[in-house]
Amino acid sequence: MLKDITFGQYFESNSLIHRTDPRVKIVLMIALIVFIFVSGNMFSLLLSAAFVLLVLIVSRVPFKMYLKNMKAILPVLIFTAIINLFYGEGGTVLLSFWKLTVTTGGIYRSFFMALRIALLIFVSSALTYTTTPNDLTDAIEKLLTPLKFIGLKSAVHTLAMMMTIALRFIPTLIEEAEKIMNAQKARGADLESGGLVQRVKALIPILIPLLISSVRRASDLAEAMECRCYNGGEGKTRMKQMHTSLTDIWVTVACVLYGSFVVLLNILL
Amino acid sequence: MSVLEVKNLTHTYSGNTPFVNDAVSNVSFTVEKGEILGIIGHTGSGKSTLVQHLNGLLKPTDGQVLFSGEDIWENPKEIRKIRSKVGLVFQYPEYQLFEETVYADIAFGPKNMGLDGDELDSRIKEICRIVGVKPEYMEKSPFDLSGGEKRRVAIAGVMAMRPEVIVFDEPTAGLDPKGRENVIKIIKDYREATGATVIIISHSMEDMAVLADKLLVMNKGNLCMFDTVEKVFSRGNELRAIGLNVPIVTRVFAELKAMGIDVNENIFTVEAAVNELKRIRAGDGNA
Repeated sequence: MLKDITFGQYFESNSLIHRTDPRVKIVLMIALIVFIFVSGNMFSLLLSAAFVLLVLIVSRVPFKMYLKNMKAILPVLIFTAIINLFYGEGGTVLLSFWKLTVTTGGIYRSFFMALRIALLIFVSSALTYTTTPNDLTDAIEKLLTPLKFIGLKSAVHTLAMMMTIALRFIPTLIEEAEKIMNAQKARGADLESGGLVQRVKALIPILIPLLISSVRRASDLAEAMECRCYNGGEGKTRMKQMHTSLTDIWVTVACVLYGSFVVLLNILL
Repeated sequence: MSVLEVKNLTHTYSGNTPFVNDAVSNVSFTVEKGEILGIIGHTGSGKSTLVQHLNGLLKPTDGQVLFSGEDIWENPKEIRKIRSKVGLVFQYPEYQLFEETVYADIAFGPKNMGLDGDELDSRIKEICRIVGVKPEYMEKSPFDLSGGEKRRVAIAGVMAMRPEVIVFDEPTAGLDPKGRENVIKIIKDYREATGATVIIISHSMEDMAVLADKLLVMNKGNLCMFDTVEKVFSRGNELRAIGLNVPIVTRVFAELKAMGIDVNENIFTVEAAVNELKRIRAGDGNA
């Protein structure tokens, strides 16, 4: 059952990117995002685009999966592009009406911004497609370890545990919601027709049982965890230890190289 | 006259899993008016998928479901109407309770059918009398009731639509013996009061022996037996081969027979077993 539902966004494969240590991956993704923002001119941004494209190809996730993500963000992308079209400075005036003018500078800027957003989406999708949700939360927990020294001792583990549990229960709740929906439909509930108010009202018979069962599940889970002597992160060891390997070093080197070129291009041009 | 007719029903879940498997494949059977049909089968044999077709929650990939001779998907926009004619009580129906009072929860179904006022009120009171929901419970919150009472209320919620066919998906699952007996009694009482046709999915061969007129056996999405209770339970070896069994008393009597005692093997209920044992004892006394 669990397999039928998209669990997070993970796409099973065994590429170089999949094998990279999740901690390294998260850090590098943040670095990549920073470099994309640092790319101040078209040359460095195109270099970034080339590098991101390389990452996507190496990840061996079908390109249409990435496009699917892009589709969701398309309205934002188009909106940004249109707004920026009118804010460009310099260049020759191409079109002018009312208070709005479109210049070649505007077209340049609009393209620049749209590309930048698209790259950001691609990079973050590359992370979520190649890393399982559990690995992600584990890695976040590890990366946040330094917070323990500034008095947030239990917070780090608790936060990571909350994220893990939330992710784990998404498919369960979807399944539960489907069951309840069917049960209420069998009692004649009409979920498909009517105006907005009516449709929201029609959700009550589904949301209330769902809420109650979530609370019940939560208390069952808490009890089960206590029965296994769970008492937070203190002294807890992991079944799957994360190891950095040669792969991680190569991937990091590639990113550093790319980053220095971006900086170089920014200074030179 | 057949009230429900299933013709060559096939359902394939459209998933992106590599195993394309028919959940139900080419199943045909008819249900006569007023009878109790039991559906048995191993977990994952397609029972639940099958019954969700009977009230149009699922649309057949192939084949037809006829209610009183008419295809229920004849007019897809009217599919909601079939749901008040074929009631479906899901597994653990108490998890679908949501209203503030028992009364309001039972009223949900009939209200969706468009009933209101005195008609609605009399409908609810009548069904509560049949299934034994006590009047003092009416204004209580359904969440304050015990597990068995919650289920009684949830079942009443479907029965209040007064369906001509009522389908139960494992109605006794997770209840104590008393609760199981209660549910079985509710089902019998409803049938007696309304003459409705009943379809029950159950893992309990004992419940089936007591309740059902006919049994439908599912295995891996296929219909593998459809016959009277006696005939199905007389094929014990075949049932065991697909992970099912016959009632315990039937097994006891088969053992007795194997030990050389002259007993009737076709004993399915405790009541019949008691009678048969009495008969044997009387026979011994005479000898």
